Amino acid sequence: MRGSTRQQRIKKSVGRTCRNVKVNLSSSLAASHEAEVVGDQLDENLRMKNFHNAWVKIESTIKDVLHNINADVFNEIDGWVHRSFGAICSSGKPDTNKATCSYPIVTDVTAKQIFTALVVMNNMEFVDDLQTFADLGIHLQSHGCHVANLSSVDFSAKNGIGGCLKSLSRQILKGSIDAADISILASWYMEQENSKRPVVVIVEDMDRCSGPVLSDFILMLSEWVIKIPVLLILGVATTLDAPKSILSSKAVQHLSPFKFFLGSPADRLDAIIEAVLVKPCSGFLLGHKVAAFIRNCFLRQDGTLTSLVRAVKMAIVQHFLMEPLSFIVKGLLDEEVTQSGEPTSLSEAWPKQALDLPSCMRILSEPKTEALLGGASKMKELLNLWSCVVLCLYDAGKNQKTTLLDLYYEALDPKLYNLRHTEYLESQPDSQRPSSTHGLHGQSFRNKGSLIGHTVRQVRDLPPAALFQLLEKWVKQTDGVKEMHEKVKELQLQEKFEDDNLKEPANRSRRQTIRNNGNLDKRTKELNQKAAALISCMARDHMQPIECIPFHEIVCFKNVDKLQAALLGDPRRRIQLDLLECHSFLKCSCCSKSCNVPISSMHDTTLMYTLAQEHGDLINLHDWYQSFRSIIFQRPVKERHRSKVSPSPKKRKTTTEPQNITEASVQARFCRAVTELQITGLLRMPSKRRPDYVQRVAFGL
Amino acid sequence: MEDHDIDEEEFEFSRNYFLAKESGKSGKKSARKISEIDLVDEQDLRAEVSNIEPKHEKEIASLINSYKSLYNEWVFELRYGFGLLMYGFGSKKTLLEDFASTALTEYNVIVVNGYLQSINLKQVAMAMAEVLWDQLKMQPRSTSGGLLKDQQPFNSRSMADLIAFLDGPHAAEDECLVCLLVHNIDGPGLRDSETQHLLARIAACSHVRIVASIDHVNAPLLWDKKMVHVEFNWCWHHVPTFAPYMIEGVFHPLILAHGGTSQSVKTASIVLQSLTPNAQSVFKMRRHSDGQDCLYIPLSKDALEKLLLD
Repeated sequence: MRGSTRQQRIKKSVGRTCRNVKVNLSSSLAASHEAEVVGDQLDENLRMKNFHNAWVKIESTIKDVLHNINADVFNEIDGWVHRSFGAICSSGKPDTNKATCSYPIVTDVTAKQIFTALVVMNNMEFVDDLQTFADLGIHLQSHGCHVANLSSVDFSAKNGIGGCLKSLSRQILKGSIDAADISILASWYMEQENSKRPVVVIVEDMDRCSGPVLSDFILMLSEWVIKIPVLLILGVATTLDAPKSILSSKAVQHLSPFKFFLGSPADRLDAIIEAVLVKPCSGFLLGHKVAAFIRNCFLRQDGTLTSLVRAVKMAIVQHFLMEPLSFIVKGLLDEEVTQSGEPTSLSEAWPKQALDLPSCMRILSEPKTEALLGGASKMKELLNLWSCVVLCLYDAGKNQKTTLLDLYYEALDPKLYNLRHTEYLESQPDSQRPSSTHGLHGQSFRNKGSLIGHTVRQVRDLPPAALFQLLEKWVKQTDGVKEMHEKVKELQLQEKFEDDNLKEPANRSRRQTIRNNGNLDKRTKELNQKAAALISCMARDHMQPIECIPFHEIVCFKNVDKLQAALLGDPRRRIQLDLLECHSFLKCSCCSKSCNVPISSMHDTTLMYTLAQEHGDLINLHDWYQSFRSIIFQRPVKERHRSKVSPSPKKRKTTTEPQNITEASVQARFCRAVTELQITGLLRMPSKRRPDYVQRVAFGL
Repeated sequence: MEDHDIDEEEFEFSRNYFLAKESGKSGKKSARKISEIDLVDEQDLRAEVSNIEPKHEKEIASLINSYKSLYNEWVFELRYGFGLLMYGFGSKKTLLEDFASTALTEYNVIVVNGYLQSINLKQVAMAMAEVLWDQLKMQPRSTSGGLLKDQQPFNSRSMADLIAFLDGPHAAEDECLVCLLVHNIDGPGLRDSETQHLLARIAACSHVRIVASIDHVNAPLLWDKKMVHVEFNWCWHHVPTFAPYMIEGVFHPLILAHGGTSQSVKTASIVLQSLTPNAQSVFKMRRHSDGQDCLYIPLSKDALEKLLLD
């Protein structure tokens, strides 16, 4: 971090609830190693720069992906806004005097209709769509609209209609407005430069708004719609019927709805996985166990795209902090191109320290110097192949709604990769098998339950039209990957040839047609088999996961425990463990041999909590105190032993109670320990119903 | 973690719950009362609580010291937009103040003592806005010049305005940052939903970074997904200290104390001490008809009626 010197000052404010501290920090360098340190500092600066670029790349990639997914629907909404505004304008404008008078113009019921877009999110997890509506607002603003984004916080029952009106005014008028007065908005809108553009109000999460407040807001807008032609966009998380169940019937009557549908959360998830984790993006990759953890969190706990993206960002930060060789090579896996449009050759070598990495020591077979020089390029090549095969499998599995997250997770598994290899080698004649497979006779490693295996088998059952489309996709995916592209093209040509045979000449007899159809079915099946064999071969030969590649530690984050600890605190479990395993943190000699048996030298709160485990859900305070007291007054073990073995009568202790412990101090310690357990929330204090008991809140770990 | 490990854990937890409930019912429930304990006088008890001889002082100091090696990591995480959430048994006040005073040199730090009974978040936001404003004035190429002309004093602005200012695109984000350090963000004065939402909105501002501590096992229940993943963007750090909860425990009544009168007096005196001299001088003392001394604020009838209406 940058070191700087600043003056220290402290400022106290009213109530002493806050204090401002600026601190003096001076940095110093050891003079004797100055040159080395300067060199290290340059490396560190380079790492920081590369890391920052990778971070920015991930963020911008995600932004672009979501932008592309939403582009079509945003354009549709924009088109609807301008068409609706055109329809409003064609019905004429009120003159300025009437428009700014305090009473709204009432003509007829239809004139009070508000053009409303119901944007269906298909997603109960609103957090994933926060950015969507912000982007929609920006998109509409850039296309000439006045836009205000309101959320459910603006429509709370506590703030009432004044809250949302203030927020609306603040955004449209771009100033600090204290009065929630819609006539101010009307006056502003009547100004010539403002009235040429539509006013769009986006209510981001309609389902979470207070129904009565939103209804009142809509009714108010409908009263003023002639003067301020507002176009309403409502984000709907549940169903299209949500407005009817949330809003009053009177408010619903004033809505003239149009429906728009955002892309499904599954599509967005797959698009992000593809762009950030499967395809080369930032030079940062996840290990199999980390991918498994993120997948589990998504499927079993959180279920939001936002948390998944956050996990990836946390992983990259931790990778930078934990792996000193990470980000040392610039632009490892992204598609850098020269001005002429050709990809640059990767000339950067791995640093020498990379030879100490476990993957290098274990896997490397070639000379080390060569490995260092060519390592980055080789890794890039292998990862491109891996990425290509995963996307081909994804294309194959789309009909069965296979998610890329599941495929990605499985494709990262080094064990499955080795099993595929072993299975293939098993099927070869003995002479062609390497020695490592000897001794595996007769064992079948066909992983029938795996998703990849299932996807491959599905290819066999594809109808001709679907197979044709799949091969077209594979041709595009494998473009530039010569190891696969030629084989895919060859198969595609065969498929086209068979397809041409489908066109029967007019002069063929019926018997010939039937015979031809039978042959055709057989040939189609053969094609399916070949396609399945091709993808299976690609998976076996080219889908080498990152953890099987030398030097992978530089680019691949594998520390799932650290990531889990940072993302999911689990204080309920951890605070209890802190109390029960106090010694493992304090490492004191007095408690080292207690083995969780209560002893007097233990931390008081730990002792109390250990004693509490012996009770049920209700702890009698009297008994608890007596247990605590008896432990406190117990002589330490060392003293008891000393008194037994000491030969000298002078040294033998005769007192049964330790010195300096009074009844008051025991009671004080008991009180403080109970207070500390109360602060942690592990106990519920006595109530009028049970004044002599406390209640345990947490049970077990 | 494998799927079957997760299932095992959840099963074990619920099994322990039912076992604890059963053992509570099956055995003969003890009918002993607190009053059967030979309790010492309340004043003596309170004096003893203040003078408890510390145990494991060296080990606790060593443990807190060991966390210093993590300071750089924490600063790095803050820089990249994560909020730091410290948890674990023991008071983390000393640790966090040491972290703020030695490692957060790029930031101005505002400290909020969440263990107090009531916190005025508006004051906190004002202090943050003032500090940010001071920083912006020192920036040569910021866009703050345009804002100077229309600048209302911060104490007259609404909370929404203050948040808008803290979130504004005044300068490059990493040039002007205010760090909000909240001790016990799960404390009694901050636990309500509205306060947590407000804190989350402040934490989400582009010029704000947050460092907070929690002690309650159920603290995560305070936040919804938007707050956890987007606004606070918590990065959890397990930093048990086993340091005593000296100041955090002040407002909790002692379990063995008789009644609550001493605690009420202590609480009242702490609240009074936290006021400025001018505010303290508003209070007068007189004897109530029941013989008890009490504090009161003299107000005219009109002023009292106006206060009640407001």
